[in-house]
Amino acid sequence: MRSAIDAQFARYAARRVGLLVVSLLGVSVVTFGIVNVLPGDVALLILGNRASPERLEALRQSLGLNRPIWIRYLDWLGGVLTGDMGESLRFGDPVARLIVQRLPASAFLAGAAVVIAVTVAIPLGVVAGQARNTWKDFTTSVVAFTGISLPDFFWGLVLILVFAEFFSVLPPSGYVNPAVDPIGGLRHVALPALSLGFALMAHLTRMTRSSLIEELRAGYVRLARSKGVSERDIVYRHALRNAFLPVLTVIGLQIGFLFSGIVIIEQVFAYPGLGRLAFQALLNRDTTLIQGSVLTIATVFMLSNLIVDLLYAVLDPRVQTGGGA
Amino acid sequence: MSNEPAYTRRRSDESTASAGTPPDDRLLTVSDLTTVFHTEEGIVNAVDGVDFHLDRGEILGLVGESGAGKSATARSVLRLIDDPGEIVGGRVDFEGTDVRSLSDEGLREFRASNTGMVFQDPTTTLNPTMTVGRQVAEAVQTARGLSRSAAKREAVDLLDRVGIPDAAARANDYPHEFSGGQKQRVIVAIAIASEPDLLVADEPTTALDVTIQAQILELLDDLREDLGMSILFITHDLGVVREICDRVAVMYAGSVVESGPAESLFSDPRHPYTKGLLASINSVDDGTGPADRDRLNVIEGQMPDLTGTTDACKYADRCPGATEECREAHPDLEPVPTDPGRSVACYRHEHVGEMAYEYDHESRSLSWQTDRADGRGDAGDEPVVETEGLVKHFDTSGPIERFLGDPEPVRAVDGIDIEIDAGSTVGLVGESGCGKSTAARALLRLIEPTDGSVTYRETDVTAAGSDELRSLRRDLQIVFQDPQSSLNPRRTVRQIVRRPMDLHGIGSQGDRADRVAELIDAVGLDTSHLERYPHELSGGQQQRVGIARALAVNPEVIVLDEPVSGLDVSVQAQILNLLADLQEELDLVYLLISHDLSVVEHVCDRVAVMYLGQIVEHGPTEAVFDPPYHPYTESLLSAIPGLEQNEERIVLEGNVPDPSNVPSGCRFHPRCPRKIGEVCEREDPTDHAVDGETIGCHLMREEYADEVDWGSVD
Ligand code: SF4
Ligand code: SF4
Repeated sequence: MRSAIDAQFARYAARRVGLLVVSLLGVSVVTFGIVNVLPGDVALLILGNRASPERLEALRQSLGLNRPIWIRYLDWLGGVLTGDMGESLRFGDPVARLIVQRLPASAFLAGAAVVIAVTVAIPLGVVAGQARNTWKDFTTSVVAFTGISLPDFFWGLVLILVFAEFFSVLPPSGYVNPAVDPIGGLRHVALPALSLGFALMAHLTRMTRSSLIEELRAGYVRLARSKGVSERDIVYRHALRNAFLPVLTVIGLQIGFLFSGIVIIEQVFAYPGLGRLAFQALLNRDTTLIQGSVLTIATVFMLSNLIVDLLYAVLDPRVQTGGGA
Repeated sequence: MSNEPAYTRRRSDESTASAGTPPDDRLLTVSDLTTVFHTEEGIVNAVDGVDFHLDRGEILGLVGESGAGKSATARSVLRLIDDPGEIVGGRVDFEGTDVRSLSDEGLREFRASNTGMVFQDPTTTLNPTMTVGRQVAEAVQTARGLSRSAAKREAVDLLDRVGIPDAAARANDYPHEFSGGQKQRVIVAIAIASEPDLLVADEPTTALDVTIQAQILELLDDLREDLGMSILFITHDLGVVREICDRVAVMYAGSVVESGPAESLFSDPRHPYTKGLLASINSVDDGTGPADRDRLNVIEGQMPDLTGTTDACKYADRCPGATEECREAHPDLEPVPTDPGRSVACYRHEHVGEMAYEYDHESRSLSWQTDRADGRGDAGDEPVVETEGLVKHFDTSGPIERFLGDPEPVRAVDGIDIEIDAGSTVGLVGESGCGKSTAARALLRLIEPTDGSVTYRETDVTAAGSDELRSLRRDLQIVFQDPQSSLNPRRTVRQIVRRPMDLHGIGSQGDRADRVAELIDAVGLDTSHLERYPHELSGGQQQRVGIARALAVNPEVIVLDEPVSGLDVSVQAQILNLLADLQEELDLVYLLISHDLSVVEHVCDRVAVMYLGQIVEHGPTEAVFDPPYHPYTESLLSAIPGLEQNEERIVLEGNVPDPSNVPSGCRFHPRCPRKIGEVCEREDPTDHAVDGETIGCHLMREEYADEVDWGSVD
């Protein structure tokens, strides 16, 4: 039986990975398409308005801008697959290198935000769900509601004011590689991660609470009571795992918002991550860099969704059987 | 479990079941138990001063219709009442312990070691993300504090004991990998893990097919015997009560109205309500088909709602024997002086013999029924509806599976022939998953048939283009099983009944308004219901609206898909009467889809028995049921609980197989109690004409005639 289930899981995972590859191809087409039909001449952008037509034409030739768009797409895609995303029009550096430099900082920030959100939200949600309609529940609800209603950059500004300006305990901006200096890394990531994770935490708290309340009404909870399982075990052994499933779905959905949050939060905290890079690229009309960073962000986003889905399948035995339910 | 099909039911020693029980045999005494639910409409008195007791080794049936408070009573006994419910009064005495005064920890221990509970819906009762082995082991641990590994071994033993094949391996599976009947067995294993003194079974077989129900009842009865436990058995099914219970308490609107030993209570009901309930089912059981298709005896009306206080007998509004004295207060449950084992709550129980339930046959004609399409009345001898080789396969595989190989489709309907004559009713019966509902939908082309043809009065329904199909929809209608989900919740009754006429452009605006009023009257509702929304109606009333909607376009054929299966017995009888009246007045043709053989037997002229997508036996009702020749029909009939002749019962093993992987030869052979041998696995039985009916079974072949012990069949 076990091995049959594992085989089923492998099939499920394979299908999901296949789907991921197809979606990524789609994203690459869209990214490339949008950037390249954007008004504005790349050559003009590079050389400036006063450049002579001859020089512009020569640059177009050398950049291959005169070839049909689908050939340029295939060219680009071929490059991407071999790790070559072209050179940044603005910085002149290879796009791939720029991204590799910035990616860890953003990953660290996003990861820290998710960790903060999950570790705070789940216990809080459980407490609120168990102590329904008490002051604990009420307080949690108010906190969660504020978290959802206010945008993340607001929390960014508040946190900077309080912890950096007023108490001066944490740095208001910058990034330190945690692999080099763990303490410094954490100190620098703390404020941006908090502001980024706040909304997610609020969402997850609400979800955990309502989902736990729902599960505590389920038939299996009544069965567990009838067999004399203690209330504590009912929550932690039975209800929580089932209650976590919808929470996991929300995490998957919220990752998208997290990415849009990153672009803004990295601006607010002058944090040298991928979001800031992409934003600068956009301002500079740095087409190759836009293509590269958007594709990277999309890949990371889809990968994290894939991980969430696979985790879901591991936690919920019903998913793997496919057609069943 | 043994493979022996025959099983005789046992009862605990009669002496323990009767009155005058020595007090030390008493396990549970419930007195004046009162449980309320706080709702927006006010306080609902779900359990209103209930008294009963249970002796050791005894099975007490707590029966009543939905809303009678029987589940709330059962849960109150174990204090399993959830918010917004609250036990507000009374005493639950378990061997001298007052359950209501137990501390939280005391209550937990009480549940862990003294009681077990089986619930109604096995699919939602097990934890979906925990293996069944762990769920059983957990019960063992809470009851006996064994180590984890010892508990696990014990769990496998328990699973084996309740009849899960290959228990050691299956213990590692998750609930969704088990069938409904097997899940219920797992829950029974959990309930008996502590070898409890008291098992509370709350409608344990209601969600199951009749053959699976027979298996579970047999299991419970065996366990009661082996473990010497008492069972508080909650059910709405009087047949089940008659089958398994020693004593019965009948509940109505939160109160016990009558209690006593099962035999005497059924043969000689003292309360008018009990009498009415028995009348509604007995007339179904006794009906032998169309020859004497009388209307059923019914209890009119419905149970009162339980908010607020009552200042009259709760049954007074429906009671044929009510007088002024009944309007003062609800009577107490008191012992019957002449029969000390019994109690009844009725001021006039001595006169119960004179109270009779009757059904007033009403004319159900519709003024516009004559403007039907030409030629409907004179059918000649041709059937009105005819299917030939109707097939519906579902392809459930995704693109990847299809790419990898040719997957087996789900053979929901696999070549069936049905003929229905003018003005008659044909029943299609079988267990869930046999394909009967799919067949009905394919017949109406609500889903596209894969193959075969359907003809309605010389029109080929399967070949009809969209315009033709639209006009055919006026002739062919359907009434669904679950009225609640088939009626649009955001439309009023008036809009629901009127809509088909709007869609088909029937009559002028004024005509439609008149017809809505007439229709609603014809189905036994009145104009005050027109502005209500479906959720404001009871189940029976909703089904009446469903029928009115079907009638609105003046159809000739109505497919009735389990039209009464979600309804209480007394309401079932009302709806069946209504359908019979309408058929008589309007010359309707019915195709009745049902799993309930007693309903089919009462209502249908002809019956087709379906198993795994095929019809295994069909013919006139009496011929099919009396005696049943096909082993499957025989088993189905035998599984009906509580019928007198059922001393020897065939309990079918296993479940209906997966229709995407049908057995070779005769599809019934893996479960057939009369399987001849290899021939059944090898050859698909052909149809044999016997006694005016058609039977698909090798036993009907000349060379196997000796295999049948006709003596036991007749
Ligand atoms: S007390 Fe009166 S109304 Fe109530 S059941 Fe008896 S006869 Fe009927
Ligand atoms: S053909 Fe054989 S297996 Fe099938 S019903 Fe008849 S006896 Fe049973």
